[in-house]
Amino acid sequence: MNQFSVLSARFSVFGSRVAAGLVFAALFACNPASAQTKAVVLKGGKVLTITHGVIENGVVVMENGKISAVGAGASVKIPAGAQVIDVTGMTVYPGLIDSETNLGLTEISAENMTNDLVEPSDEIMPHMHTADAFHAETALIPVARINGVTNAIVAPTSTDTLPGQDSFIQLDGKSADEMLLVRDIALPLNFTGEQRRRESWEKRKYPSTRMGMAAQLRQAFIDARDYEGKLAEYDKKKDAAAKDNKPEPLAPKRDLRLEALLPYLHGKKQIVLAAEGPSDLETAVRLANEFNLKIVLNHVSHSQAVLDYIAGLKVPVIVGPIYQEPKPEERFDTVYSLPAELHKRGVKIAFATYDAHGVRNLPYQAGFATAFGLPYEDALKAITLNPAEIWGVADKLGSLDAGKTANVVVANGDPLDVKTDVKRVFIEGREIPLTNRQTVLRDMYSK
Amino acid sequence: MKVDRVAIRFLRWLVFVCVLLCGALLAQQQASPTQTQDVLIKNAVVMTVTHGNIKNGSIYVKDGKIAAVGENVSAPAGVAVVDAGGKFVTPGIIDSHSHIALDDDVNEATSPITPHMMMMDAFDYQDKAIYRGLAGGVTTSLLLHGSANMIGGQAVVIKHKYGLGRDAMLFPGAPRSIKFASGENPKRVYGSRDQLPSTRMGNFAVQREALVQAQDYMKEWDNYEAKVKKGDKDATQPKHDLKLEALADVLRGKLMVQIHCYRADEFLNEIAMAKEFGYKIRAFHHALEAYKVPEKIAAENIAIATFADWWGYKEEAWDAIPWNAVISMRKGVIVAIKSDSDDFARRLNQEAGKTMRYGGATEDEALKMITLNAAWIVGVDDRVGSIDVGKDADLVIWDGYPLSSFAVPNKVFIDGGVYFDRALPGFGMPQYREGQ
Repeated sequence: MNQFSVLSARFSVFGSRVAAGLVFAALFACNPASAQTKAVVLKGGKVLTITHGVIENGVVVMENGKISAVGAGASVKIPAGAQVIDVTGMTVYPGLIDSETNLGLTEISAENMTNDLVEPSDEIMPHMHTADAFHAETALIPVARINGVTNAIVAPTSTDTLPGQDSFIQLDGKSADEMLLVRDIALPLNFTGEQRRRESWEKRKYPSTRMGMAAQLRQAFIDARDYEGKLAEYDKKKDAAAKDNKPEPLAPKRDLRLEALLPYLHGKKQIVLAAEGPSDLETAVRLANEFNLKIVLNHVSHSQAVLDYIAGLKVPVIVGPIYQEPKPEERFDTVYSLPAELHKRGVKIAFATYDAHGVRNLPYQAGFATAFGLPYEDALKAITLNPAEIWGVADKLGSLDAGKTANVVVANGDPLDVKTDVKRVFIEGREIPLTNRQTVLRDMYSK
Repeated sequence: MKVDRVAIRFLRWLVFVCVLLCGALLAQQQASPTQTQDVLIKNAVVMTVTHGNIKNGSIYVKDGKIAAVGENVSAPAGVAVVDAGGKFVTPGIIDSHSHIALDDDVNEATSPITPHMMMMDAFDYQDKAIYRGLAGGVTTSLLLHGSANMIGGQAVVIKHKYGLGRDAMLFPGAPRSIKFASGENPKRVYGSRDQLPSTRMGNFAVQREALVQAQDYMKEWDNYEAKVKKGDKDATQPKHDLKLEALADVLRGKLMVQIHCYRADEFLNEIAMAKEFGYKIRAFHHALEAYKVPEKIAAENIAIATFADWWGYKEEAWDAIPWNAVISMRKGVIVAIKSDSDDFARRLNQEAGKTMRYGGATEDEALKMITLNAAWIVGVDDRVGSIDVGKDADLVIWDGYPLSSFAVPNKVFIDGGVYFDRALPGFGMPQYREGQ
């Protein structure tokens, strides 16, 4: 990246060009397709089912937004009146799932007024909901779709220890309500050192060390536990008062911050625990165990030395990104080989771009991981079925099976290869136009 | 358990001995880096870039140069043979826009005009990024000044001979390049300090003013020299000014001008400015809107060094489209894909592969964008960038099809010497923990 593009713009004035661009983008951004009315049949393709192998010359039938049949050519009955699309020579596979993005939270990285990435005013912000900022009409989603990404986690960026809750989205819909499949699906807990408040020696504030981060987190969960106790006590008193026909006791004051932590305190929802190196990882896991948190690990890019420990935790890992650079003392391929090494130890892995503009490149990470030993089928799983299972939506997504949501991709080659051109994307059986502001610009200037 | 421990100890010892041996071999090689071993690479799919692919091809490397390439290549008996095992061999990748190995000394952002900054003075030849780029097949990089200044410093061209000393890594005889910039970065850097420039008008005014000063400086010296020639003993010698001397070299055509430039209107302004002052622009870097005015760029024989698909990171990157490279190429622009990043430098082959998906570049066209075209931008296309007789033996043996998500280099040769070998982790990396 050029040296300044990452600097936040000091002047976050909304240039008229940006405004015009956004208006222009909005015209092409949402472009929601209407609900599927007619059955659609994809016939003759190489079908990567994920759950039951590869079917050459296969047939996929989509009806009422769902996959109604998948099978070998002759074995599948084609519904009367269906639109039959010949996809001979093409590869057919389920929509891809990106396990961490900032989609809908940013347009132009350097233009701060277009960013809703994280609330930096405090570190313990579990009551921030990415769903509240999610911009359904973002120009970035139609760009992400052109490589077959149909679902994604939307997460805040990682500069707070508890930055707020993730959403699980579908990359098409008429409104945010339609696109936000699961609000508050998980809560990131970031423990990488990046969360220390040490912009400069003068501007240091608590927590400026990992001790501070851990203490602050511990206090937050203790406060949540106490808050829960108070609520329980109140419920008891209220019940007793009702029984005795006494006036209702005073309810404890609502605390949104602590309230937001309650489902996580009980492992009802998952904490996405981010750490990079072994010491951060072990500190954060110890902390999570103190409060019986249910965790999914995130990143662990510099934890090659403790892979058996990670495997022993028996939790899934969102790995990478594979492009993260090694530390100076690490092998050149230490991060490249991490997905394969985790997989070898029986860890369920999923890939994420941790990006917004680059979400379309999700499949290439999985491809690159195969060059360092990850079996091909497992690489494909790590962007389809594994994330569906990790995020609790495997009954609907992640494979081509009858009964699942008809999120289906048709491409002219290997889904994991940079050369492959995605030709069709279906979301809930609707064919999504593969246009976006970039294709519009392309067409405008190639005349 | 005990047996295991003994076995582990033995293995450790074995690894240790291997590392020592590798080290010794390397030391030998380093002792005389000019004595590269002649080698015959055979059983390869040779992607020449200039004359197609040679299936079952061989390359004979002699004295660090490509001495022969083809299906039937004869080499003297006793020459070392490397069997590529039917894999692909490409020229070493050339990164025409890099800031690695500068230890963050990329921008002398204290004045918008700093043409006398020499990147060579900041070049940190032990930076691991050099090795990591090498492990991704990069053999030559143009290390540029950053884009904070309208006129930045002078580049250094390196070969990724990681493990050698500083001077041994410089590309011998590579022409000099200077970095110019435009657009958001200079105006952000100086505007945020309430200094000139804070607008694009300011940007170009600052640039023009500097070039006018350089013209005056040249005139002053010309006058002085004319007087001396006439025998005028009273002629006073003008002051030597490093900054103006460097700018004068731009006007004299002694520096290749590499301009960081995003927007279509700015390409046109830069072209007009170059004409006004009589210098040539070698390449526009980033050039994300080149697809809007490709004919204008091609007409000036200016190349672009661009990204495959990066976009949206700032306002002037908002109109970026991944078809930029191919649309521009089809309109006659010389196009290179570059990294501008320690990360991307490690996988430029994948980035080039994307041009096949976005716009349908052919295999040769895609490969050219990270080899021969990039070499042209750096000004070393007569030396590297293709597998042709007489060129430097900078070669990559890949373990798969290079223009894909799946390939990684097995071996990388520079000037005929092996500087990366996946079979020997740590090779070429003294004092590096690799593989231990």
